[in-house]
This record gives sequence, structure tokens and C-alpha cells, in this order.
Amino acid sequence: MIEVEHIEKRFGAFWAVRGATFRVDRGEAVGLLGPNGAGKTTTIRMITGFLPPDAGHVRIDGKDILNDSLAARACIGYLPESTPLYPEMTVQGLLQHRARLFRIPRRERRAAVDRAIEQCWLTEMRRRRVGHLSKGYRQRVGLAAAILHDPPALILDEPTNGLDPTQITEMRRLMRELAQDRAVIVSSHILSEVEKTCDRIIVIARGAIRANSTIETFGGGACPRCILEAKIDDQTAASAFGDALRALPGVSNVDLESLADWRRFVLTPDVDAPPIAERVGKVVLQHDVVVRELRQEAPSLESAFLELIARADIEDQA
Amino acid sequence: MTQLLAISRRELAAYFRTPVGWVVIALYLALSSVVFAFLVLAPAEPASLRPFFGLSGWLLMFIAPAVSMRLISDEIRTGTIESLMTAPVSDWLIMIGKYGAAVAFLAIMLLPTLAYPATLEALANPDFGPVLAGYLGLALAGMLYLSIGALFSALTASQTLAFLGTLFTLLLVRLTTTEAIAQRAPEPLSSALFAISIDQRLSGFARGVISTGDVAFFACVSIWLVVLSVIALQSRRWR
Repeated sequence: MIEVEHIEKRFGAFWAVRGATFRVDRGEAVGLLGPNGAGKTTTIRMITGFLPPDAGHVRIDGKDILNDSLAARACIGYLPESTPLYPEMTVQGLLQHRARLFRIPRRERRAAVDRAIEQCWLTEMRRRRVGHLSKGYRQRVGLAAAILHDPPALILDEPTNGLDPTQITEMRRLMRELAQDRAVIVSSHILSEVEKTCDRIIVIARGAIRANSTIETFGGGACPRCILEAKIDDQTAASAFGDALRALPGVSNVDLESLADWRRFVLTPDVDAPPIAERVGKVVLQHDVVVRELRQEAPSLESAFLELIARADIEDQA
Repeated sequence: MTQLLAISRRELAAYFRTPVGWVVIALYLALSSVVFAFLVLAPAEPASLRPFFGLSGWLLMFIAPAVSMRLISDEIRTGTIESLMTAPVSDWLIMIGKYGAAVAFLAIMLLPTLAYPATLEALANPDFGPVLAGYLGLALAGMLYLSIGALFSALTASQTLAFLGTLFTLLLVRLTTTEAIAQRAPEPLSSALFAISIDQRLSGFARGVISTGDVAFFACVSIWLVVLSVIALQSRRWR
């Protein structure tokens, strides 16, 4: 549905996007994730035809965004960042205006506007001026304008920006609903946002794609860390116990923290190492220490994301 | 056509949903009615609207930039340009629709002034040839001024800059092409200045002379400037 092939964009000497390639199929919601200034909005602007790529191709439903631009743009519903709208128009008037721009036939226009208003919970606000609405409602109007023509591809740039928690939950529900029969790209710098609404994550940093995987496999399926809290009063004994853990096969690092009467050992496994908790248990028995907690902690999306970004920074500086 | 009308309709409605449109119309009508009352309806003066057309020609130089400054600049400033340029609408339709709305606004502004020839008709027996030609001249000059304004508006996100750029360009063109200055310039500059003199051409309309050359001048320059505005709008995609 949305095919992006080796797109590049440069502003002077600055590479905004370098060789981005990915595709999003119908029924799939993909999160475009990256820190501020990573190239997310530029990528989205190239997909929507607002900016032409310096190189590469974008196709929406098989239509090239440059060579068959109007047809490709007709397939896209787009909610730009910060939801720019005409403040002097009423909600209904603005949607009718958008319906005319998207060439919705006159006899279907009213039904399309009513449907979008209902889907975005705007019924009570339909006669209010957009400039008099709260940020949350404006966001909904922007979304209603994006889905008005029932597009097969939906692109939402920071859709939950400025919404309160209830509105965020409603927006997420709506996004999941919309993704059932559409190709959806959600751009965000908020990890939990993407985790809750998308099936797949594309991480972009310094203009290049650093990861493209499902939520479950994101982070490369790294082994979970092992966290152990034990009561060891003597510093020497604690060090010896730490050394014993470090000597275990598959353990790459052990960090020691003191917590009042307890000590916390955080064991980081080698890449592709088998789970280490069992072997840690054996060491505990050998040293006969009192343990109050031994648990495995899967690497969070956040830590995997931060690691990717840090790696991108290092590669870029190199 | 639906898209073109949608763009024009929204743009025209926006003038009247904000105070700008009403203030511009009110100021123009106030000033023109003063001229009509004291210069046209003056005793012993001929039944002619020439003073009104003369003043309107100059007033339009300030009004047109105020009308055109928001056309594209406001869309760029508020970010709505992104929604507009990613809709399945060509840049040509966007520009022509917006320019058409600005021209329609000027027409609406001039509409109440039809009361002046009607009043004149009730009091005297004016020649309607120069009146019709005068209105045609005003409309053509307004279209030319608006096309300069549309170009500046497509070049900047600042409405103030768009207004000032248009106003200074118009002042520069009108002042440097006045007879006093154009006569003193060396050839071939002098001929060129006379050729592009808006004053000269407008005075012909005010006298009741509709020359094909004058009409073609205003129409061609306006069309070229609208084409340049479209190019300026398209260039935003490449910047």
C-alpha cells in the first residue's frame, strides 16, 4: 500500500533523510519513531507529496507520488504535526470544504461529513468555530478531515500531541480501529504511544532507518537481564559473590548497587546467550546467601530505543 | 471546477469572517464617498466621476496589498499550506482559486459605489461611456495590483512583508512612470517607462477611451504575474 524506496532529502549540506526504504501494507499500523529532528516529519512530507525526494520513489496504492501525484495524494489521509486548520470555519464547514477538495461527489458529501464527525466524537461541536475549540477537539477535527474521504493510507504526525489522558486513550482506540483496513503510519517520539497503537516499529535517527521490526522482536530479541537482591553484610563477601556471578558463562557484566541492608546485582547477558537465571540460582546456593528477589527483566522498548539512538550518534560521528 | 470554487469560496468567506475585509471596505467607501460628495457633486462641476476614479486608482494601491497579503502567506504562517498542498489539488488551482477570491472581494467592494453614478443620473445627465470605462479601468488595475500582491504573498510567510513588498513595488512603478519622471529619462528607458505607465493607461479609461492595447496590457501582465505566483508556490516544495 505505502511503498518507500531509497528516498533521500538534503537541505544544503544537511542530510535530513538518507536512503529510507520500507513498506506498510493494508491492515498494518506502523510507528515511525525517532528523537526530535531525526527526519520523521521530512520522511512523512515526502510520502504525502509535500516535499519531493531528491532521490528514490514513494508509491501509494501503486501510484507514484511525483509522477501521478494527484491520484496518489487522493489515496492519503494526512494529519500534519500541530494540526493546522482554518480557525474561522465551523467544524462542519471545514469538513465540507475538505470534502470538495477531495472531490467527494455532492450526494455523498453530507454522509461522509456526518460519518467523520461521528467517528471522531465531534457531534456536539459540529457548528462551533474551529478557533474556539480546545486543542483536543482541534486534533479530532484534523483527524476527521484526514479520514473524511475514506483513504486507504493514513498518515498521522504526532496524533496525540497535547491531548489529555482520556483523549489519548480514545485516540489510540480510534487509530487501532482505522488500522484494521488501512495502511497507517503514526509518527511519534513517544515510545509508549507507538507500543500501544502499532504492530511494527520503524526507528529513524539522523536521517537513516535504524530498525524496522515488530514490537515483539524490537531490540533484536536480546536476553533478559537478571536482577538479584541478596543480603550480604560484608563488603569482601559481596565482591566475591559478584566475581562468582561475573564468571558465569553468558554473563557480560555485573553491576552492584547497595540498598540499605541489601545489595542488588544486575547481570547483563551476552548477546544471544541462553537465559542465565538458573545458573545464578546455583551460585546463590553455593555461597549460601539470603535472597529476597531473583527476577528476569526483558529489555524495555525504551532501553532498546535509546541504545539504537546512541549507536546512530556514534556511527554518525565516526 | 468544484475544487477551484471550494478554494475561492473559503478564501472569500475568510475576508468577511475576520474584521480585515469589513474594515477595508468601510474605509474605502468612506473615503470615496467624501470625494464623491465634495468633488463630484460640487456646484458648477461637470457630471463626471473622474475625481472618484482618480482617487480610487490611488486608493487601490493601498487596498490591494492589504487584500492580497494573506493569500498564501497566511497559509504558510499557520501551516495550513501543508494540508492544502497534500490534497489532490494542483498548485495552479490553488493559486487561481485564491487570486479569483481576491478579485471577487474587490468587485464586492466596488459594488456599493454604483450608487454614485445612480445619484449622478438622478441629479444631472452624465455620459455613461466614461463611467463604464472608468469601472473597467479600476477593475483591470485592481487585478494587476492583486497579481503583484499574490506573487509577494507566495514568496514569504510574513503578511507584513508581503504587504510592504507589494506597496513599494506599486509605488515604485507608478511614481517612476509618471509623465514628469518618464520624460526626463534617457531613451530607450523613457519609452519603456511610458509603455508600462499605469497612470497613462488609467487616464485613458477615465476619459472614456477603452483601448485594446490598454486592456491587453493589464490582462497580460496580470496573467504573467499569476503564473509567476504559481511558480513561487511550486518552488516551496523544492526549498
